[in-house]
Amino acid sequence: MSQDVQKLQELLTRVQRNAALPRTLVSPSLLQAAPVQAAPVQAAPVQAAPVQAAPTPPRAAFEAPPAVAYSAPAYTAPISEIREEQVFFDSAPPAPYVQKFPSEPVVQVSAPLDASVDDLLLEDPFPSVPPAPSYNDVLEEEPIPLVSVASPRPIDHDDDVSGVVAISFGEDQPEELLEDDIVEMTSAEAELPAPHHALDELNFGDEPMDDKPADSIDEEPPASSSRSRIAGTMDEALARAAEQIEMEEGREVPLKTPPPESGPQAATGLPEGIHAPLPPDIEELLEADIMPSGGVHAAVPTPGQLGQTIDLEEARGPSLELDQPPVFKPEPLQDDLPSEELEVTLPGREFIGGYQDGLMPPPEARQELDAHRQRVGDDSLLPPESGSEYPSQQPHAPTSGFAPVMPSSVTTDSHSERVSMVTVDAPSNVEFAPELLARPDINPSPVAKFIRIEVPRPKTFMELLDSSLALGSD
Amino acid sequence: MSLNFDPSYALEFDFGRGQIRMANAGERVVVPCDALLALCQGASEDAVRDFGRRLGTEAGRVMNDRLGEAWQASLETVLEHLGGELALMGLGSLGLERWGQALVLSFSHSPLGWAGDLLLGSVLEGAMQRSFGRDTVAIKLMRDDQKVRFLMAGRSGADKAGGWLSQGVPWGDVLSRLATRGAS
Repeated sequence: MSQDVQKLQELLTRVQRNAALPRTLVSPSLLQAAPVQAAPVQAAPVQAAPVQAAPTPPRAAFEAPPAVAYSAPAYTAPISEIREEQVFFDSAPPAPYVQKFPSEPVVQVSAPLDASVDDLLLEDPFPSVPPAPSYNDVLEEEPIPLVSVASPRPIDHDDDVSGVVAISFGEDQPEELLEDDIVEMTSAEAELPAPHHALDELNFGDEPMDDKPADSIDEEPPASSSRSRIAGTMDEALARAAEQIEMEEGREVPLKTPPPESGPQAATGLPEGIHAPLPPDIEELLEADIMPSGGVHAAVPTPGQLGQTIDLEEARGPSLELDQPPVFKPEPLQDDLPSEELEVTLPGREFIGGYQDGLMPPPEARQELDAHRQRVGDDSLLPPESGSEYPSQQPHAPTSGFAPVMPSSVTTDSHSERVSMVTVDAPSNVEFAPELLARPDINPSPVAKFIRIEVPRPKTFMELLDSSLALGSD
Repeated sequence: MSLNFDPSYALEFDFGRGQIRMANAGERVVVPCDALLALCQGASEDAVRDFGRRLGTEAGRVMNDRLGEAWQASLETVLEHLGGELALMGLGSLGLERWGQALVLSFSHSPLGWAGDLLLGSVLEGAMQRSFGRDTVAIKLMRDDQKVRFLMAGRSGADKAGGWLSQGVPWGDVLSRLATRGAS
């Protein structure tokens, strides 16, 4: 018993909440086909279509009540089960349209003149809030969405007499459902009485509603607003919050960018394992900067500094060990001089410009030196005096003649080269140094004389004949 | 004096009379070569020499008529005209060689062959006699298939050269000896 009471209370709250939702526009054609009683005709802002361009509607359209812009489905008694065929086709279907050209001018049913433009503008052909469900649908056993009523046939624009764009309930135009629009319907709801106010009592126009309480008007959210209705009681607020939490848990957030009027968009969650980089800890960084270079954290970089560090594999192969080189300790050159690094002390002053007198140049060097002295002709450059074996050479006038040189042996280094080097080994016991003599210059003179005897060519044949006759004559 | 030999209209064939005449000369008889050789071979040496000298005299005379003053003619001019006249006789192509002071005349492509060398030498002696008024002896130096060379020498020189040639001295050495002996 208590469970029934609780269900009834929940159902009551939902019915009240749904009753506060705005109702949708219903096309006249749909209303005509639906076995519902049309609402009383209100100021129908039917826009007159052009006479010539608009096709003539069928006669049934004229006999039917005039098209209304706002019409809510009338309340019907609860029916245990209502089929769609009964809902839409209880009445005879409209006669097939046959275009007829009346002889008389067609009287166009026009809207009243007092229909304001605001009424026309307020007609929202594409309401953001889906239309309210009919009560026939509400009374169904299974909980279904309120907008699941499908049109059995596509709505033809020819049937739209009023010119109001019909709202299609087909599957081609999916409706974006809001949280408040989804209501679970249970079987118990069918037993609930009708709401205390009908949909036709709602006023969507600019006309003031004098007979309605002011609080109901204030609580009505605007048609273009998605703001939900304020809960009346604490229980209702709690129930709504709990329901909202349940809906958010199973809700899939569209990934595409919503239109700007749709409000804030919930951010999609990142996949597991990926997270945004954490902000650096400023204090930690400051401490790292303040710490000295030789401190504890100097050699160990922070994880932030490492970044994507790749650990290299260790080298393969035999392990090499490097011996520590011995410490080089330069010995001091002189003890008396102060030892400084990378400084070499030059020898003392006593070694400058002197050599031993007993040193003798090698004989090869002496020969080369003499030859060089002769080529240069510089007599001033004398070899160093050596008083051991060779007498000191004094500058003397060059001899005019050739002095014989008797070298002990003459060797030639290379025979293949164009310029061979001849080395003359002087005997060691020779008192005088070998003297190299040059061949005197020879004036250019003819070496051989070739005499060309040219026999004079005879000018005439007579001369040659005479010379030839003279041959052999004594 | 024209340098080039012009053989135009040198021969005139008179078919009505059956005669062949040479320009600025008398009648000619065209005879077979082998018949002429047979005649020369059957005749004595002096007869062949005389026959040949007569042919040469005729050629010298014609050349003189062409050249005017032949004694002033150069080697080339004499060779051109004398050789032209001998070519018209069909004796071959005349050539001239100078070996020092020796004058050597040659015949090439002679149809007479080695059997007509005495005749050819005699022709040259008659031409020199008629053209230049010198008595010369043509000594045959050598002979091959195509050419025969004759040394134009005097009597003494011809005897020496003939003697060396008979001794087997090459004709080059003969010319050298004649030149050496002559120079010394």
